[in-house]
Amino acid sequence: MEAKQYIGEGWKHAILIIGAIVVMLPFYMMVSMSLKSQQEIQSISGGLIGAQETQTFPVCVKTGYSEETCTMKPYQYNYWFAFEKAPIPRYLMNGVIVTLSIFIIQVLVALPCAYALAKLRFYGREFVFSMVLFCLLIPVHGIALPLYVMLAQAGLVDTYSALILPWTISVFGIFLMRQFFMTVPDELIDAARMDGMGEYAIVWKVMLPTAIPALLAFAIFSVVAHWNDYFWPRMVITGNRDLFTPPLGIREFRGGIDSDEFGPMMASIVTVTVPLIVAFIIAQKRFIEGITLTGMK
Amino acid sequence: MGTISLKNISKSFGSTQVLNNLNVDINDGEFLTLVGPSGCGKSTLLRIIAGLEQQTSGDVLIDNKNVNRVRASERDLAMVFQSYALYPHLTVRRNLETPLRLRDYNAFERLPLIGNFSPSKKEKTESINQLVNKTSETLKISELLDRKPGQLSGGQRQRVALGRAMVREPVAFLMDEPLSNLDAALRVHMRSELSELHNSLKTTFVYVTHDQAEALTMSSRMAVMIDGNLLQLDTPQEVYDNPSSLSVAQFVGSPKINIFKGTSDSSGTVSFLNVNLKRKSSESNTDLHIGIRPEHLEITNESNDNTFSGIVAYRENLGSDIFFHVNIEDGSNKIIVRGLPQFTHQISNGSSVNIKRVSDKALLFNQAGMRVQFTNA
Amino acid sequence: MHNSKAHIWFIAPAIILMIIILIFPLFLAGGISFTDYNLGNKTFEWVGLENYDKMFNRKTYVKMIWATATYVIVVVPISVVLGLCAAMLLNSLRFGADIYKTIFFLPVMATLLAMAIAWEFTLHPTLGIVNSFLANGCGGVREFILGFHWLPWVDSQESWYAVACANNMDFPYWLKQKNTAIWTVCFIGIWQAFGFNMVLYLAGLTSIPRELYQAAEMDGAKSTWEQFKLVTWPMLGPTTLFVVTITTIRTFQVFDTIEILTKGGPSKTTYVMMYAIFEKAIQQNLTSIGAAITVVFIGFILVLTFFQRYVIEKRVHY
Repeated sequence: MEAKQYIGEGWKHAILIIGAIVVMLPFYMMVSMSLKSQQEIQSISGGLIGAQETQTFPVCVKTGYSEETCTMKPYQYNYWFAFEKAPIPRYLMNGVIVTLSIFIIQVLVALPCAYALAKLRFYGREFVFSMVLFCLLIPVHGIALPLYVMLAQAGLVDTYSALILPWTISVFGIFLMRQFFMTVPDELIDAARMDGMGEYAIVWKVMLPTAIPALLAFAIFSVVAHWNDYFWPRMVITGNRDLFTPPLGIREFRGGIDSDEFGPMMASIVTVTVPLIVAFIIAQKRFIEGITLTGMK
Repeated sequence: MGTISLKNISKSFGSTQVLNNLNVDINDGEFLTLVGPSGCGKSTLLRIIAGLEQQTSGDVLIDNKNVNRVRASERDLAMVFQSYALYPHLTVRRNLETPLRLRDYNAFERLPLIGNFSPSKKEKTESINQLVNKTSETLKISELLDRKPGQLSGGQRQRVALGRAMVREPVAFLMDEPLSNLDAALRVHMRSELSELHNSLKTTFVYVTHDQAEALTMSSRMAVMIDGNLLQLDTPQEVYDNPSSLSVAQFVGSPKINIFKGTSDSSGTVSFLNVNLKRKSSESNTDLHIGIRPEHLEITNESNDNTFSGIVAYRENLGSDIFFHVNIEDGSNKIIVRGLPQFTHQISNGSSVNIKRVSDKALLFNQAGMRVQFTNA
Repeated sequence: MHNSKAHIWFIAPAIILMIIILIFPLFLAGGISFTDYNLGNKTFEWVGLENYDKMFNRKTYVKMIWATATYVIVVVPISVVLGLCAAMLLNSLRFGADIYKTIFFLPVMATLLAMAIAWEFTLHPTLGIVNSFLANGCGGVREFILGFHWLPWVDSQESWYAVACANNMDFPYWLKQKNTAIWTVCFIGIWQAFGFNMVLYLAGLTSIPRELYQAAEMDGAKSTWEQFKLVTWPMLGPTTLFVVTITTIRTFQVFDTIEILTKGGPSKTTYVMMYAIFEKAIQQNLTSIGAAITVVFIGFILVLTFFQRYVIEKRVHY
């Protein structure tokens, strides 16, 4: 019986390892290419990290740098040149600005509304809630075109506002927070009222702190979605490099596959992709919990 | 037939020993209760009988056949779980049918659609229906057959769970605290129903509970377990009257038995407080625990060498009886005395009372907690 | 109760934003789809159903529907089943489950666009490790396994693998070839989505009470399959419904991989709806036809979600 179980366990691991290899394949390719020299990439040699021989890089010299500056190991070159070619920190900063603004505005709008829907009694509450439920069905990507038309008419294309505005209302956030507030006992709010707090103070001083776990889950959901979003920025940012978010940067790096150098290109893609992945690996339990919580409603 | 024998059963999880070399023989048709405080290993023992858990050592015999290597599904036992474990997505009827379908239909007949082409299926379906109907009538759940478990009350779910166990007429029923999720009134009611059910089915019941009252009221024999050890296996009356050890005496009986510290002298005469017992202990010259149940004490006006005095700390009125929690004068002990309302209604908290022994009944235990017998009857 | 008017200030911003950002655009898209309006035009005319007529009759848009449907019909079931299998496998492991969970979840977190480019190189005919792995395996075990030579009806001279080996390593140009592009894009979609489904299923599995499995065992469900049928699958009903709906809505919205890898080609085999909206309305400035596609798209999504709600009420509730 014991031996049989170990064989079963072995089989499961065998299947899962094959799966894991397939899943990791592009990550391996990405990291490996960002470390190797162009020749190694083209001849598919050198394993994961390549030979790392110090050499002079011709593309770099052509760009106008001295030969001395252009002589280094491939991995140094790839990452150094990536940062020389494109304003990567700027893209990352745009990503931070956009995702944080979106998240903060979403909370500012959703939290009071969720509180009112969960804990206050007023005329029309049911109607507002059914409106929320209906809006839950509308995918914002789906209505991107009319939104784009509206923004274009308002002259907002190619601005930060265009990146942020359509996402300021998160119906999902309202729904999630309302469900959470429903579980908060009424006594807590009544106690706060007895202590002399106004409704505003209750929202920000009582409800907000109790909602931290749900808020964290929502933060992960929101930040991941908007950091990785490509469709919407692609629609509304047409040429202004100063407004590029990380995915738009990635698109720019890619250029033409057959002409450019692949090493620096992959190095920039790795740089842009890494922050979120590192955050995920460090706090993966929170991330997975957050995604499950927001996923299961 | 339905005898179950447990021989030298031990179970450990890692380094913690939960069952310690247990031997139990369960007779055919018996209602055996495994009772003990939570964590004593009683549920584990039941699961070992069921085959849901594997013992570390020892043998389980059902009808004298060793079933150590037989899977739970093939031991022909039925189990009622504490949470009932009904299939929430199936109707009551389907819940009752499930054990029959799984056993009676072969793999081909269980296939959807094409399974219906099997010639013998129709007949089997008919007999399954009959059994389900019969069982649901016995349990008075016929009108619930089309509902789902989520639409039932706790008591109704309890019946359905019983029905699912009954429907296939197993060798024995195993019940794991089946009444603990019911409210107090219903629990008392279900005790009598279960007893009646047992009387009419005449099948072996193995019943796990932490509630000594359930054990006392329902079982033909009860096995008292504490810390993985089987302390006593006997009829409820015998366990109550003649506990084998101090722990059993303290566990069985509500309110708890009173324990006094006393000594026996060289002749075996036992004394505690200012009282001497008439009968002599078989162990002389030693410290003893003397156990006297609350109903064997009484509040009295007398004051003599067979009484002792104390102050009433709390008066627990149950209507039919009043239990007095009394602090004994020398401060050594707090005891409980039963009084009849008609004689004791005027005694209030804080009053000083004398207490005497009503009968000669007392239980002796040595320092190790083992029972000490009297020499003369 | 209290007579505070605070609730007005609490709900007003949300209501105004909902109307402007979510509800009004629905009507705007509907309105534009009946006109010949293009962004920048001063005037427009009502053209009735002309845009819709084009959509269902012109070859391009018929291909669009086909590509979208193929993508959804392939990606949803496979990623859901893979997610379920992975979750059940991980759930039954004695050790190491967390590592696999992290690995399988990585594609969900990673920027899809970047990963699409990584896949492009991985599957590149001359630079990619996939084709070099295949080429190096000619005549060996890899050919035997991946060429399906182990199936009795496959001729080991005629299998796709053997043919490619014989023709100077002519392995597929995965993303550039008409007969493979859509399947390759589907593969990337599955690769990205199944980890998410797995995590939801893992949560669903842990919420199944263990006593139900024990009850099933006592009732005579011996094999893992019987227990799966009796307990696991029905108990996962709500999870499955949710997973299927959310995966469907997400796969309907596929855009990143298409835009960066195939641009809808070759010959419109991967021309999915979101890409069509983008290409027509933004790049070619054909706003009205884009609006018509938007309306159809939203229609699909609404029908799907209502269907889900209906099924929840009817079937999976207990």
